[in-house]
Formats: sequence, structure tokens, C-alpha cells
Amino acid sequence: MAEQIIFVIAAAAALMSGALVVTLENAFRATVALIVTLVSVAVIFLLLAAPFVAAIQIIVYAGAIVVLFLFVIAYMGDRPAPGLEDRLAPYQAFTWIFVIALIGQAGIMLANSNLVGLYDEPAATDDIGSPEAIGRAFIDDYIVPFEATSAILLVAAIAAVLLAKRGVNFEGGR
Amino acid sequence: MSGVPLFWYLMLSFGLFGLGLVGVMRRRNPLLMLLAVELMLNSANIALVGFARQWNNTDGQIFALVVMAVAAAEVVIGLGLVVAVFRQRLALNVDEMSSLKG
Amino acid sequence: MEPALAWIVLGLPLLGAATLAAWPSEPPRSMTRVLGVGPMVVSFLLTAWLYVQMLGENSDDRLVVSRVWEWIEIGDLSIDVALQVDPLSVMMMLVVTGVGSLIFIYSTEYMEHDRDYRRFFAEMGFFVFSMLLLVLAANFLFLIVGWALVGLASYLLIGFYYEKPPAVAAAKKAFIINVIGDLAMVIAAFILVVELGTLNYLLVFEAAPDGLGRGAVEAVTILLFVGAAAKSAQVPLHTWLPDAMEGPTPVSALIHAATMVTAGVYLIVRTHELYELAPYASDLVAITGAVTLFLAATIATVQVDVKRVLAWSTISQIGYMIMAAGLGAYGAAMYHLMTHAFFKALLFLSIGMVIHGLAGAQSLDRMGGLGRHLKFAYVATAIGVLAISGVPGTAGFFSKDEILASAWDAGDLGRVLWLVGALAAGITAFYMFRLLFRTFSGPEPEGGYGVHPQPSRWPMAAPVAVLAVLSLWGGWIQVPRGWTWIIDWLEPVIGRESIPGQQAELVTLATSIAVVAIGAAAAWWIFAVDPARPKRLAGRLVATRRLLEDQFRFDHVYDRAVVGPTRDLAEYLYRRMESGFVDGLVRGAISLARGSAMGLRAAQNGLVRTYVFVMISGVVGLGALLAWVVTR
Repeated sequence: MAEQIIFVIAAAAALMSGALVVTLENAFRATVALIVTLVSVAVIFLLLAAPFVAAIQIIVYAGAIVVLFLFVIAYMGDRPAPGLEDRLAPYQAFTWIFVIALIGQAGIMLANSNLVGLYDEPAATDDIGSPEAIGRAFIDDYIVPFEATSAILLVAAIAAVLLAKRGVNFEGGR
Repeated sequence: MSGVPLFWYLMLSFGLFGLGLVGVMRRRNPLLMLLAVELMLNSANIALVGFARQWNNTDGQIFALVVMAVAAAEVVIGLGLVVAVFRQRLALNVDEMSSLKG
Repeated sequence: MEPALAWIVLGLPLLGAATLAAWPSEPPRSMTRVLGVGPMVVSFLLTAWLYVQMLGENSDDRLVVSRVWEWIEIGDLSIDVALQVDPLSVMMMLVVTGVGSLIFIYSTEYMEHDRDYRRFFAEMGFFVFSMLLLVLAANFLFLIVGWALVGLASYLLIGFYYEKPPAVAAAKKAFIINVIGDLAMVIAAFILVVELGTLNYLLVFEAAPDGLGRGAVEAVTILLFVGAAAKSAQVPLHTWLPDAMEGPTPVSALIHAATMVTAGVYLIVRTHELYELAPYASDLVAITGAVTLFLAATIATVQVDVKRVLAWSTISQIGYMIMAAGLGAYGAAMYHLMTHAFFKALLFLSIGMVIHGLAGAQSLDRMGGLGRHLKFAYVATAIGVLAISGVPGTAGFFSKDEILASAWDAGDLGRVLWLVGALAAGITAFYMFRLLFRTFSGPEPEGGYGVHPQPSRWPMAAPVAVLAVLSLWGGWIQVPRGWTWIIDWLEPVIGRESIPGQQAELVTLATSIAVVAIGAAAAWWIFAVDPARPKRLAGRLVATRRLLEDQFRFDHVYDRAVVGPTRDLAEYLYRRMESGFVDGLVRGAISLARGSAMGLRAAQNGLVRTYVFVMISGVVGLGALLAWVVTR
């Protein structure tokens, strides 16, 4: 029972803060709303027997990525978005059509998927979420994706350094 | 202890994904588009970790961790671009960044 | 005997030519001389060594096929990379490398003032390689390869002065006519493959008597003869050779007089086993040769360009060889091939000294009285004229008389051809002495020479002197009633050839001395005694002169019958097909690409969110597909 209550609270928090993320005009506030979402999702991960992923969610997402966002926003100052006319305004309806269509399709596929135990009480799990289990899986079975990920991060770091250099010219800027 | 069926986790995942999608399509500030993308990535992670529990297998969590790493890389590049555009004193509006048009 | 020597002889000229061609810039002239002449001389010395080795063998052991590897194997057909070293190919090698070496040495001086010194020697070396491949090939495939490559070399060297439109036109003409012959030879090879399943000389000759039907053997020999006629400038495929004189004079001497144009004679002798099975084809060969030698001799009497006189005389002399080969006198044909290489190379080189001395003038109208200035060239040309006319004791005397005597003994047809040949011998004497008199004796031309005639230096004089000696005394290697070295030497290849009978020898001897004397006397009377007489006589026989000057209108007929219609067809196709259909297709493709690009560029509108929309609509579409699949 406790788990269900926690799930409902965390899910509601995630959805509500997510809605704020996509609606708030102020970038700083939207980012703070994203922190709430991320923490809620971390709680969901805990419920899903993934304590290590939850910890990483807090440390990397809430701790590093969002701080990076906030840093950039602070650097740029709170400049209001220019009030230009939205050239795609006539196509706004597509946004909703697409979202509803995608979720509907996902529902159809789920309903027809014959997944065993989709609506049942989850069975007890083994030790799948501990740092030890994840570390073994990475080193034993997923060493190549692991190394590929590290390569991607390295490339991203180099790219960020290049982008941050002064003198890079975009859009015919002055 | 009574758990929550996988179905509801997937519903949560769909909901967050839909919100992120709306954000990506509606927002014109690249910074806020990136935030919406983060939402979508999180929704995918929820699904991955949910299935990992359902099948009693670590693989889904591994995948979620890789997604986080890739998300970090993506944010670094995206924010780098945003800062660079900002330094050129251009409007932070993706609709204005169109000099590559045909 | 060491057949590997043949490979070295074959490879050296190619090596030299390739080195010259690959040299990054125009090398120093001395380097070009070494790389051009060196391989030739070494090749000649090695060939001579091979010849000496072969002399030491029994005549039965003198035929060696040096096979390196199997090149093609298709079904039962197997073609080797192989050279056939036998007395015939060694004789041809001696002529090619020997005369070639002399002409190369001559060229070092003759081409000295030319911009493209390196290109000249590279292309000449390539020619020698191709010619050696032609004579050394051990099967029809490599024969045809060499055959085509000498055609290519000839094309390149005729068009050596590529800035001159006549040279380019002459090169194209030579190439196209030669390709007609190449095509015929390829078809002949196909027939051999189909009928006998091999292209190897020895296997073909062994299998031909039983394996080839009458029709097949006639077809093969006639097709081979078409190739021979195209290469050796026999009627009606002869029109390219006079035009080929647009090339430099050493080229004319080596390719268009001494070696390449005699390849047809070599081919007939090489495949004589087939011709002996094909009486009709042999008669066709003999008659073609006789017609050619007569027509060419008559045309030569009115030519004004010195080199064209020599070109027509070359056609005529090859006609003798072809006639002899057609009548079965293969030894006589090869004998005349060799002596002709000597005296025709001599004539071209000594006349080349005149042209060189006059800075490029080639018209007889601008010559005359040059004997006073160019004594050496005068003497050398005179020796050449004596030899080609067949004055007793010179090289041409022995070889031409042997051909005529063989013809006398070759039945009724032979008698007729003997008459034609003897008559043409008189005409030959006439036009050669005319050339001699109009060039070297008499008064200076009106208006002078334009330049002071310059005597030549030793690199040009020395080869001429050697060739003069060979032209004078080279005939003594085979003397009627005396000794028969040529026939003995070629016996392993062509079998024991019967020598002409005593009656034939005597009749021929008397007749040829008489006609040569008459021809020479006529030339002397018209051109040497009284300088004004040629002009007085020019008014007579106008129609005949016109016909001869038009070279019996062969070119005219070809222009009307082949060149004109081809050009009209091309013009028509250009107008109708090219500009309407082909260009329309191309333009259509262009406008299609442009139109679709213009349409598609609307998609690249630069609005990032449009891309997002498009991408997500794709995702939705895929999702719809998946949903449809799972619900089915």
C-alpha cells in the first residue's frame, strides 16, 4: 500500500512539474520545475528496484546537468524572448494531433502486446539494481557500449571547448 | 508489500513523453527546447527501468545509465551552441537561425 | 641456342622507350641519344649473337618455341605467352634491329633541331618493340597484338608533327585503313579457333591439312591477306602509304619502307602452309601483287614530291614481294624483303640528307643541280637508284631477278605476271633515274634553293655509307647457279624451295638488263640531256598524266564511296539524332534534376521546428504502421 501511495505522489509531482517545464516562460523557473521532475523520477526509480540509477539520476541530472543549465541561464541573464510572431502558428493543431496520435498508438500496441504480468502485482526481484550488479554487467557484458559512451563524452567535451572559444562566428554575426 | 503494476509506470512514461513532445514542438527558445528533450529522455528511462524490473534483469538499467551519459553529452553540446549564439548577440529563437535554408 | 636472348631483344627497345616516356621532363639530348640508340644497338648485337648460335645448330634444331606461361585458357582454347625463334623470325629480327639501329643513329642528327626529341625516340622504340613482337609471336593472337601495335606506332609517328593538319589527316587515314586489315585478321583467327581450336602456329599448320575444309582455308588465307594488304599497302588498300610521308623522313625509312610495310610479306611467308592449301587465295595474292607493282610504278613516274616518289616505289617493290609470295617463291620474297630494306632505307636516308640540307624542301621543282653541293648524298642516292633499278651486280638485281625467274617457272599465270613485273622493272628504272637526275643534275631551280645546301655530319653520313655498301654488295649472298644462302637458311621454315630453272634465269637476266637500260636511257634522254625537254614534253599525253597524277583516282573513289556517305550520315545523325533526341534526353534530365531540386528546396526552409514537425510526423507514421501490424 505504501508503495502505491508513494507512486501516486511521485507520478503526480513528475507530471505536474513536467507540465510547468513546458509552459513556464521564464527559463529559470522552468529549470527549477525540471529539478522537481528529475527528483520525482528518481523516486520512481527507487520504487522500480533501481537504487543505483536513482542515485545517478540525482547526482548527474539534478546535480550536474541542471546546474549547467542554471549556470548558462545566469550567464545570459534573464532576457525576455523576443515577441516575434510565431510563423508556425497555423500548424499548432498538429502538435496536439501528433501527441494524441503517438500516445494512442502506444496504447494500442500495449493492449495488443500480450505482455505477461502487465497488470499484475510485480514479482520480487533479485539484486538487479545494486552498484555491484550494475558494475558486473558493465564490465562483463557491456564493456564495448561503456567504452563507446566514454568516447562520446570525450568528443562532447572537446566540442564544448571549441564552441566556447571566442572568435567562432555564427549566422554572419559581427 | 504490494507493488504497482508495470502498466502504470508505462502510463507515467507516456505522459512525460507527451509533455516533452509538446515542449519541443511549441517552444522557440533553444534552452527550453533542451529542457523538454530532457523530459522525453527521462520518460524513456522510466520505461527502461520498469521493464528491467519486470524481467528481473539488469540490462534495462544499464541502458538507462547509457542514456544519461548521452543526455549529458547532448546538453553540453546544446548549451555550448546556445552560449555561442548568445555571444553573437543574436536573438535566442530557433526560428531566426535559418541561414542554412535552401 | 639461347631463346631467352629473344626476350631480351624484344624487351630492350620497350625498356628504352618506356624510360624516355616516363622521364619527368625533356631529358638532355645526350641522355635521349643514349636511351634511344643504346637499346637498339644492343638488341642488334644480341640478335647477331642469336644468329651465330643458330648457325651452330643443325637445321632441324633451329626452330625453338620459348613458352613462358599460359596466358588464356577458355575451354579447349589455350594461348601461351610464347616466342617462336626460328630462321625466319631471326632474319626479320636482323633486318629490324640492324636497319633500325642505323636509322636511329641517323635520327640523332636528323631530328636534332626538333622540339620533340624525346617523344621521337620513345615512339620509335615503341615501334621497334611492336615490330619485334609481330615477328617473334608464336601464335596468331600475339601476331595480331604486334600487328595492331605497329599500326599504333605508325599512327603516332605519321602524326608526329601534330600541328600540321595534313599530317594528322594522314595519320588517321593510315590508322583507319590498317584497322580494316586488323579486323580481317581477327576474323581469320576466329575461324581458326572455331575450326581447329588453337592459334598456335605449329599446331595450326600441323592440323590445317586435315582439319580445315577447302572453303575454310581459302577464307582464312584471304582474310589474312586482307590484313597483309592493308599493312603492306597493296591495291586497293594502298592509299595511306603515300600520305604517310607526312612523318619525319627516318620514320618513313624505318616504318614505311624497310620494316612495317613488309610485315604483310612476312605474314604470308609465315603462314605459307595455309597458302599452299589455298590455290585460289595464292593466285589472288600473286595477282594483287602484280597489279600493285605495276600501278604504283606508273604513278611514281609523275610524282613531284621526292618522298612520294619513294613511297610509290615502296608500294611497287612490296608488290614484287607479295607477287613472289603468292607464287610460292617464299625465299625469293624474303630475299627481296631484305635487300629492299637496305636500298630503300638508303634512298630515304640519302634523300633525307637532301631534305635536311635544304631545310625541309621536298619538291623536285625546288631541286636540281644539287650534286655539286651534296656530293655524298649524290653518290649514296645513285647507289640506291642502281640497286632498286636492278643494275647487274647490285642487291636489287639479284633479288628482283630471282622473283621474276620464279614467276617464269610458275605456270601460265606466272608467265603473265613475269611480263608485268619485267615491264614494271623498266618503269622502275625510269622513275628512279628521273628522281636522281631531277635532284642532283641539271641547273639550279628558278629562284634558287632558298637556303644554301648544307652537307650532313657523320651521324647521318655513317649509316648511309653502311647501307650503301649493303645495297651494293648485299645481293651476293644468293647468286643464281652459285650459292643459295637465303633459301638454305630459311629451309627449316619454308621447306626445300625449288630454284628457278636455267631457261628462266637466262630469259629474265636478258630481259631485265634490257628494260633497265631502256628505262634509264629514257630518263636520261628526257631529264638529263636537255633541261628544257621535260617542259616541251609536258604538253603530250595530258589525259594520261592527269590520271597518273590523280593516282588512278583511288582516293577520289574512296572519298565519294566511303568518306562522303559516312560524313553525310554523321551529319544527318548529328542534326536529327544528336540535337533532337540525345540532347533532348540530356536537357530533360537536367531540367528534371533542377525542377525536383527547386521543389525540394522548399523543405529546407531553415525553420528548425518544421524539421521537428516533419520528423515527428514520420514517427507517427511508423507508429501507425506498427499499430496496424500488431492489431492485424
